[in-house]
Amino acid sequence: MVTLTINGRSVDAPKGTMLVDAAKAAGIEIPIFCYEPRLGPPVGACRMCLVEVEGMRGLQTACSTPVAPDMVVNTDNEVAKDAQDGVLELLLANHPLDCPVCDKGGECPLQDRTFRFGPGETRTLEPKVHFPKPLELSPLVALDRERCIACYRCVRFSQDVAEDAQLTFQERGDHTEIATFSGDPYEGRFTGNTIDLCPVGALTSSPYRFVSRPWDIKNTPSVCAGCSMGCNVEITERDNEVKRVTGRPDPNMAVEEGWICDRGRWGYPALRSADRIDSPVLVDSVGRRKVLLERAVAEAAGVLVNRDARVGILLGDPITVETGFLALELAQRVGAGPAMVARMGIPGTGLGPMRSLPGAQMDDIDQADVVLVIGGDPCTQQPVAELRVRKARRRGARVAVFGPRPSALDDSCEAMRTVPGHLMDAAGAIRDRLDGSQRAVVLWDEADLAAEPDAAALIAGLVQATPGARAIEMCADTSGPGLRALGIGTDADLLAATEAGEIDVIVTIAADPITGPSGDRWAQALVGVGTIVEMASHATAITGHADLVLPLLTPLEEEGVLVSMTGRAQRLRPGAREVPGAAAAWEILIGLTHRLGTPVPDRTPAQAFSRLAREHAPFAGLDYEVLGRDGAVITPPAQHDPDSARRDPQGEGLLVIACTPVFGDATAHRSDALASVVEPTRVGLSPAEADRLGVRTEARVRVATPHGEAVLPLEVDARLHEGAVYLFVGDPAQRAMRLLPLDRGPVRAVVGVAAREEVSA
Amino acid sequence: MPVLNSVFRHREFGDHLTSLVEYERAGGYLGLQGTLAMSPDDALYAFHRSGLRGRGGAGFPMGRKASFLPKDTGKPTYIVCNADESEPGTFKDREIIEHNPFQLIEGMTIAGYAVGCERAYIYIRGEYGVQGEVLAAAITEAREAGRLGPDALGPGRPFDITLYRGAGAYICGEETALLESLEGKRGQPRLKPPFPAVAGLYGCPTLINNVETLAALPPIMHRGPDWYAAMGNEKSPGTKLFSVSGHVLKPGNFEIVLGETTLRELIYDLAGGLREGREVKAVWPGGSSVPVIGRESLDVPLDYETLNGVGTFLGSGGCIVMDDSGCIVRASWRLAQFYRHESCGKCTPCREGTGWLAKILGRMVHGEGRGEEDIRMLESLFGRISGRTLCPLADGAVMPVQSALNLFRDEFVRVASEGSPRPEPMMETPVG
Amino acid sequence: MTTHELEEFLAPMRHEYADPRSLILPALRYAQGDAGWLDPQAMAAVAEATGFSQAYVESVASFYDRLYLEPVGRRVINVCVTLSCMLRGSDEIFEHLADYLGLDGEGTTDDGMFSLHKVQCIGACDRAPCLQIDAGQQIGPLEPADATCLVDDLREAAAPARYDR
Ligand SMILES: Cc1cc2nc3c(=O)[nH]c(=O)nc-3n(C[C@H](O)[C@H](O)[C@H](O)COP(=O)(O)O)c2cc1C
Ligand code: SF4
Ligand code: FES
Repeated sequence: MVTLTINGRSVDAPKGTMLVDAAKAAGIEIPIFCYEPRLGPPVGACRMCLVEVEGMRGLQTACSTPVAPDMVVNTDNEVAKDAQDGVLELLLANHPLDCPVCDKGGECPLQDRTFRFGPGETRTLEPKVHFPKPLELSPLVALDRERCIACYRCVRFSQDVAEDAQLTFQERGDHTEIATFSGDPYEGRFTGNTIDLCPVGALTSSPYRFVSRPWDIKNTPSVCAGCSMGCNVEITERDNEVKRVTGRPDPNMAVEEGWICDRGRWGYPALRSADRIDSPVLVDSVGRRKVLLERAVAEAAGVLVNRDARVGILLGDPITVETGFLALELAQRVGAGPAMVARMGIPGTGLGPMRSLPGAQMDDIDQADVVLVIGGDPCTQQPVAELRVRKARRRGARVAVFGPRPSALDDSCEAMRTVPGHLMDAAGAIRDRLDGSQRAVVLWDEADLAAEPDAAALIAGLVQATPGARAIEMCADTSGPGLRALGIGTDADLLAATEAGEIDVIVTIAADPITGPSGDRWAQALVGVGTIVEMASHATAITGHADLVLPLLTPLEEEGVLVSMTGRAQRLRPGAREVPGAAAAWEILIGLTHRLGTPVPDRTPAQAFSRLAREHAPFAGLDYEVLGRDGAVITPPAQHDPDSARRDPQGEGLLVIACTPVFGDATAHRSDALASVVEPTRVGLSPAEADRLGVRTEARVRVATPHGEAVLPLEVDARLHEGAVYLFVGDPAQRAMRLLPLDRGPVRAVVGVAAREEVSA
Repeated sequence: MPVLNSVFRHREFGDHLTSLVEYERAGGYLGLQGTLAMSPDDALYAFHRSGLRGRGGAGFPMGRKASFLPKDTGKPTYIVCNADESEPGTFKDREIIEHNPFQLIEGMTIAGYAVGCERAYIYIRGEYGVQGEVLAAAITEAREAGRLGPDALGPGRPFDITLYRGAGAYICGEETALLESLEGKRGQPRLKPPFPAVAGLYGCPTLINNVETLAALPPIMHRGPDWYAAMGNEKSPGTKLFSVSGHVLKPGNFEIVLGETTLRELIYDLAGGLREGREVKAVWPGGSSVPVIGRESLDVPLDYETLNGVGTFLGSGGCIVMDDSGCIVRASWRLAQFYRHESCGKCTPCREGTGWLAKILGRMVHGEGRGEEDIRMLESLFGRISGRTLCPLADGAVMPVQSALNLFRDEFVRVASEGSPRPEPMMETPVG
Repeated sequence: MTTHELEEFLAPMRHEYADPRSLILPALRYAQGDAGWLDPQAMAAVAEATGFSQAYVESVASFYDRLYLEPVGRRVINVCVTLSCMLRGSDEIFEHLADYLGLDGEGTTDDGMFSLHKVQCIGACDRAPCLQIDAGQQIGPLEPADATCLVDDLREAAAPARYDR
């Protein structure tokens, strides 16, 4: 600790702290623009933070001057004030001062600082530097160069955080402008963060342009349910609509550090997509018709109460733990004995050893000396994780990526492309990297390692044997960790029972089994089910078959807790309630218990959570209060499964490597904002495999596994392995997922050229 | 007055020493020979004893700077020669490069030996295309003769020079911007500390010196630091090249012993004086970035301290002279335009302030001034621009204008209300 | 200008720099040598040959006055207008040349033969007023008549095989 004096007050700060931060901790605000430690070392460009340090010549930038013992600093005396005043005056000299028509107006640091620290009026009558009209940097980000104050933030984000090297400064002096190469669109998975970073209205969100003014909106902190990362976000609401999703202004440093991916940011228009279910639907002898929610719940209760009804409850993704818990409660109260409750997901038999490893949080990666990514591809599945990994590499940590998929990390990190189905081959290299490490963090992919329990056991052994090494599971589903902690298993038994005609009523919650793995089997099995009750926010493949459809709110609209892949339980808070006729799953479930005559004691998710925390050990000691701002890490349930036998792929042909980019998920497809970046469903082959088949990119190929077949467009990519077919799962309407086994385990596919009629179909 | 023992061999021995043979015949490489006979530390000490100060503008003692370089860091040590020479009014490095490139090469080799450097760079401004060719040829010739390359400092002791060409940006003369440019980045100054001596090129210890500074080393090491230190005065020893331009009849470079020649002598005796009937009105004695001085300061002897005493700097020695036919506001405007054009754009005060100054002065010159109000505006802007930026370019933009306003306030006030018609330029062909 | 040519040009100097980023500026200068300016293809070639993004390469290129991102004439006439040259008539030289070339200030002649630019001090104030054709020798002191002759001579002269600007 260093003791110094700021504005006459004695202040303590850790050695190395910059003056701005030391002052901030003491409640003294020094205005800044370019300073943003998340972007790397200070650049000292804007000169907004000039302060007087007694004994030092001239003024110092508080953002780049570390504290020193006995330093005497003045941030509010005559000199410092004149400096702040002067910088603001000069910043405004070429600024268009178009606040009334600027999207940032009302929440603009330049405006705020001018108000608090500025000159009050402008003296310029000189003509300003003019740039051509505002332009679209991409379909998502708009740039108004006249408002830019050249603070470097967006450029540093692109160059030094996302490392996409696309946004740059061009020209120099007062002609400096933000640009991409020859006006190409700014493409990337994280482009929207530049909007959050921009301290003026130079970079704005195109979908949010002119949508609302800051005084018309309400901002709610919540969590993104797009993937298992659990990034903290802020939801902007106006007129009961979600108008915007941004990174949280006070980031959760242990999770996303304030960065979110573009899928998380611009997925919200999906709330208003054409297939949103806006009203309950009842199908009976009278026909198919819309009913009120009350009636629908009553109907559902009527079915469930039937003493003979054998009930199955199938949970999809994403689902809050409260919903999972209340589903278990409901199961105890229905028909002919407890209902079967199952989640769509990976059983994970064989992952016991990996899951028993000491867990890490995302910010542990900042301290790691070795970072290994084994299987999967965080860049596309848990995008924001990529940014932490890149940061570790920049810091000098040894970063290595293993697995069968090409990854955006390959260019800058050590990459070992393993033969599909043989993650085992990486063991030697993994051992080498871990050898001698002090604080390794291993990110491993749930789906890939579940498919190879032998590799999982071996790698777990290596990590276990490395002192200080910890692991993060890259979970395939947003709800997986939470539902697993409640002891909810996957759906193999439920499907078998359904096929065997042992299920009379199926209740699905945010689940679309026909589109999911082994979807054809599910479709077949559901034919024999007497009553299908679907709870869903958007139409699915079973909506047309359901006897009763109950409209759900989405995670942006509901309350509850999600558990992230690092085991962090975090609160969703409703940002808006777009569909008046819809309800949260927890509300419906509580309602059902009431109708069934055995009501649960809970009225709110908070109460349900407190109760589940008492009943389920992993959540012991938690309630909403304890979760607080940044959530709390749960204790994962122990998992013992000594069986680590190698799993042989089913079927014949090429091994299927499933790729599930979040930019291809259902929400991405429903959001019109994301149209320019959405990932289509497609098949990837190496050039050699494509040659063998005699097909080229854009051809359509037929892929057949024991679970079904599909005709899909082909993409030939030299970065893909021979001996495998990469199945990029995009648009759910294509139902590519159903080609996989129910447990998403290893499978082979016969790939062939599609027949002419299939192509035109 | 004129230098008897010129530091620059071409000035003593026939103007053009562009081949290695000629250079060696004129005593070239005796300095290196002497240096190699001593230890690197002794060589460093010799630099120090000579009292040689940096000739790029700041005048920092060269030996002191070289001694800041940490040793045994496990990283390479680099030398970078600053041949960006873009300060308006300055063209002395051009002369050394064009007429005597080997003296620079030898000087860098000597410095390389002293600081333990194996690879050095010369960063030459892009506009010096022809001069770059001369240097490139000289480097090749030196390499072919073994003066550069694997055995340049003795068997198995390598030293080599890479010529790096800029592409037009004054700011790349600022040392950290130069390093950025040399590293393949936009030439924008870095935050200091760390200073280049500790973390310079590629983050390694780096010695950066001006062409004239480095080229002074061979005679210093040949004739001894005491010989050099004996010239001039205690704080400003040695000789300095002054580039004189503007309203003088014989513009050019002149080497003077510091402290012995007055500004008047430089202008009238060396640079041919002014046109009939004209008098000195304003002089920017050290390049365009220093405060302007008037006729009353003509009798100061030229050295660092004395010039500071009259409120200006010796700078790079680019002495621009304006006679009483010139308009001080127009001249200030022209300089302000230069700085506006050259601001890298990183710091707010400089990026926005230099443009603002240029606009106000431009309005005044064109008869659109607002009298005293513009003067007050200018005065309030100076302090908002200078002393508040990463690098001294902004200070350099303010000083000539601020000093001009102080010195010629009445003229500023007049132009601010009446404008300034373009004067007849001096069209005389220079003498000689 | 192919990537391959650029790579061949860069190959012998790679070992001189600890970071390949340093190759960008030499590569840009070389790439400009062909057409006299940097079209997007030339910049893309530089990006590929050096291993940096196109946006980055363009960002570096746009910083420097003598790298042209827009087409310029076969020869670029750079008239210095900084103080020393101004005092000796550079504005008059510039205006005279613009007149002679039929230009309204800075710009490129319709036939694509010349670009006329005002530039900042080119380090030849002893030759004021002076100008420079591309990055050639600084020429001066000039009378307006000299400047016209110069242009006439240039018109006759063959374009250089490679430009150095
Ligand atoms: C804006 C600016 C431009 C400069 N231009 C040059 C230059 O062209 N040549 C030069 O040698 N030094 C120049 N300098 C000074 C250098 O930063 C540095 O001090 C010098 O190269 C050190 O060498 P020296 O100690 O031998 O003088 C410039 C400084 C600034 C702030
Ligand atoms: S310019 Fe500086 S001084 Fe300012 S906030 Fe930015 S970095 Fe700080
Ligand atoms: S002012 Fe023109 S060459 Fe220097």
